[in-house]
Amino acid sequence: MRTAVFEVSLIAVAGGLLGAWIVLRRLAFFAHATGTATFPGLVIADATGFSATVAALAVALAYAGGVERGGRTGRDLGDSATALVLVFALAVGIVLASDVFDSGAAVDRLLFGTAIGLGGEDLWVAALAAGLAVVATVLLGRAWTSAGFDPGAAATSGLPLRPIDLTLLGLVALSAVAALPAVGALLVTSMFVVPAATARLLSSSVPGLLCVSVSLALLQGATGLYVSLWLDVPPGPAIAVVGAALYATVALALAARSPATARPVALETA
Amino acid sequence: MTAAAVVAQDLAVAYGGDPVLSDVDFSLEAGSSLCLLGPNGGGKTTLFRALTGELAPASGAVSVTGRPAYVAQTERTRLDFPVSALDVALMGSLANGRWWLPARRADRAAAQAALGRVSLADRADERFGALSGGQRQRVLLARALVQDAPVLLLDEPLAGVDPASAEQIDALFDELRAEGRTLLVSTHDVDSARTFDRVICLNERQVAFGEPGPTLTRAVLEQTYGGEIVLLEDGDGPLRAVTVQHHDHSH
Repeated sequence: MRTAVFEVSLIAVAGGLLGAWIVLRRLAFFAHATGTATFPGLVIADATGFSATVAALAVALAYAGGVERGGRTGRDLGDSATALVLVFALAVGIVLASDVFDSGAAVDRLLFGTAIGLGGEDLWVAALAAGLAVVATVLLGRAWTSAGFDPGAAATSGLPLRPIDLTLLGLVALSAVAALPAVGALLVTSMFVVPAATARLLSSSVPGLLCVSVSLALLQGATGLYVSLWLDVPPGPAIAVVGAALYATVALALAARSPATARPVALETA
Repeated sequence: MTAAAVVAQDLAVAYGGDPVLSDVDFSLEAGSSLCLLGPNGGGKTTLFRALTGELAPASGAVSVTGRPAYVAQTERTRLDFPVSALDVALMGSLANGRWWLPARRADRAAAQAALGRVSLADRADERFGALSGGQRQRVLLARALVQDAPVLLLDEPLAGVDPASAEQIDALFDELRAEGRTLLVSTHDVDSARTFDRVICLNERQVAFGEPGPTLTRAVLEQTYGGEIVLLEDGDGPLRAVTVQHHDHSH
């Protein structure tokens, strides 16, 4: 149980920080697809005894690289291509799990995560993701903000947009993989997009967004873990439900307070 | 003779296929101003993107002194972004090449001073998206000032701007030229082009380039705008022109 709390806290730091950038750069759908794209890789790794981390990372990085390449060559992969990848990955994963490998119960764990059976390797990967997210936020935060606000001007001011964008996509891929064991391939977004989307409703500056996003991710992770033990459900869905409830509560509270200025902007994607 | 700050030689620009802009050939002295005229989709923004280096020439060449500051049309910058006017002005300091480090105190002072120059010092902490169109344009100009670029590229800076802001922006243009900076400004307002040193007319190619007086003839304006212009005869005064914009946003 202690391992699970540590694991979820580390993921919350990575997810809270990167989630803020994901929401600002409108990459929410991409982040969601990155998690799900790893599912077939996980099924194969699980059945063959290959390292799940390495398999998932390979798939996630390949996907991120493809998206970046598509965006750079002007052929933006767009929402429909992302949706196609989502459905395809899920379908292939299920076919592999049910007909090829007879994975059975493992599918639940891969899709929705587990609080028990988290190991040292999982913690190390999560710690690495959290550490890198903090370092990248400190070093690249200004550049990411500027590039998200006005890409044209950012490019002319001499920012190396490609490397800094690739770094963000790569970090999202790594952190999604780190979150897989605990929250599962299907609900990775619950730690990456939901806290940041809620924070977006509450903050008017980027540093504020980062702080609130990490705090909400920690709160949501801890509460979700507790609910998952209490109701004996996988942690992924529990964390996702808590996160969605938080978002709904905040959005409704804001709408009730100032109906004229309430803007449902935070969940915009792409 | 003053050195050329911006030169385009037989430039053609394409987005993959056939050129969308060709035959562009002009040279601009440092400290002078150029007005870009042309219909929507005529190539004004494309020329800017070639000058910033974002688009490589399909043929010909461009050269620009230093790293230009580019101010896009305000609609393109995200109004819901959680940044203040000061944050936006401060983005100009990223161009100093130390973008991975936090902003220095000197950078903050420069950003604050730039907001002062566009008369927005008292709005520094206001959210960018909450400002009026004219104020937002002035904040983007402040960002260009912080960048301290020798060449400024401004894409329709006066579109949708209130008269008070427009007056301040015009005055700032004069100051910038006096400092030796080169200004390239695109506009739909043919009459305002007459206040610039040079004018370039674009309609998928360079129709004309030169001093506004002799350049902006009836023939040139009709070639530039086709059916999108109404020319008003005004006795013996200069030809007055009103452009009719079709908003198809195909840049």
